[in-house]
Amino acid sequence: MNKNNLDQKLRYNDAGNVHMDFHGATNTTIEFIINKYGIDTMNDIFKKVGNDVYKDIKDHIKKGNIKMLAKHWQHFFDRENADYNISINDEEIILTVNRCTAYEHVRKLVGNVSPNFCDQTIKTNEALAENTPYEIKTEILGEAACRQTIRKRV
Amino acid sequence: MIPSDHFTRFYNEVFKFLEDQGEEHLEAYWLEISKNQEKHTLELFKEKGLKGMYEYWDHIRIEENCDMDLKLDDEKLELRMNVCPSLSKVLDNDAEPMKRYCDHCAGWIGPLIDKVDHHLVYDVIDRNKPQCVVKIFKDKEKAIEEEKNAKLLMKWPGKK
Repeated sequence: MNKNNLDQKLRYNDAGNVHMDFHGATNTTIEFIINKYGIDTMNDIFKKVGNDVYKDIKDHIKKGNIKMLAKHWQHFFDRENADYNISINDEEIILTVNRCTAYEHVRKLVGNVSPNFCDQTIKTNEALAENTPYEIKTEILGEAACRQTIRKRV
Repeated sequence: MIPSDHFTRFYNEVFKFLEDQGEEHLEAYWLEISKNQEKHTLELFKEKGLKGMYEYWDHIRIEENCDMDLKLDDEKLELRMNVCPSLSKVLDNDAEPMKRYCDHCAGWIGPLIDKVDHHLVYDVIDRNKPQCVVKIFKDKEKAIEEEKNAKLLMKWPGKK
């Protein structure tokens, strides 16, 4: 894994203990919203997360600084003890999640994970990249595994 | 992945959408969360009563990095949240906080405490400050008496 030594601070730089059960509440929320209001509503909420909650990262991407997203990924996947690799350069970042501990924790908690659980990643990533010179592609490689790539739009 | 550290900011977006749909939509969601929380708590609360509730919130105090004091006696459990990490994160947010963010807490805890035949008094004090006082009584009359001391008393589905 290439270490990202970017000096700038993350907007949300959490420390302390990690409460993994929140992923169970996310799973419940996804099921609740989709069953009651439909998948477009759920995707709109994820879009707001990407655009508004992560405004700072999006602003960096707009300016061509994609390393802030890499720093965000590294910080939070480390905190959640996920198994991942990341390759970072100025033009492209590829994050490969071999074992997503969020997905695994939900499977342990409730048995069956929502088929839309990974939409939180796919749709939030899409919103982060929307109206920027970059695109973020999220490929699901299997259960609890994915590849997320940010690169300049063709 | 929305990191578990950022769940409350995601929660905040869900609340804003549901509030726009109407109060009954928010309440339906709180009840769904309450049902979800039953998996971790209902048996514990039924079996051990106030002691089980103490155990649950003591675990939450550590795992969610709460600045919180817990006091248990024979009649009640008192939870004094000095700095709530959930509201603190929602206020420290590039997205707009939902004005009634605190209401969700009584919204899921209240129905659960009703189910185990205890009595919740939830004083949020001020929705813009990350602090609150929660008291759970065995005796209903003592809870009703305590409600008079609350600065901003919360309601929940089933208690209007």
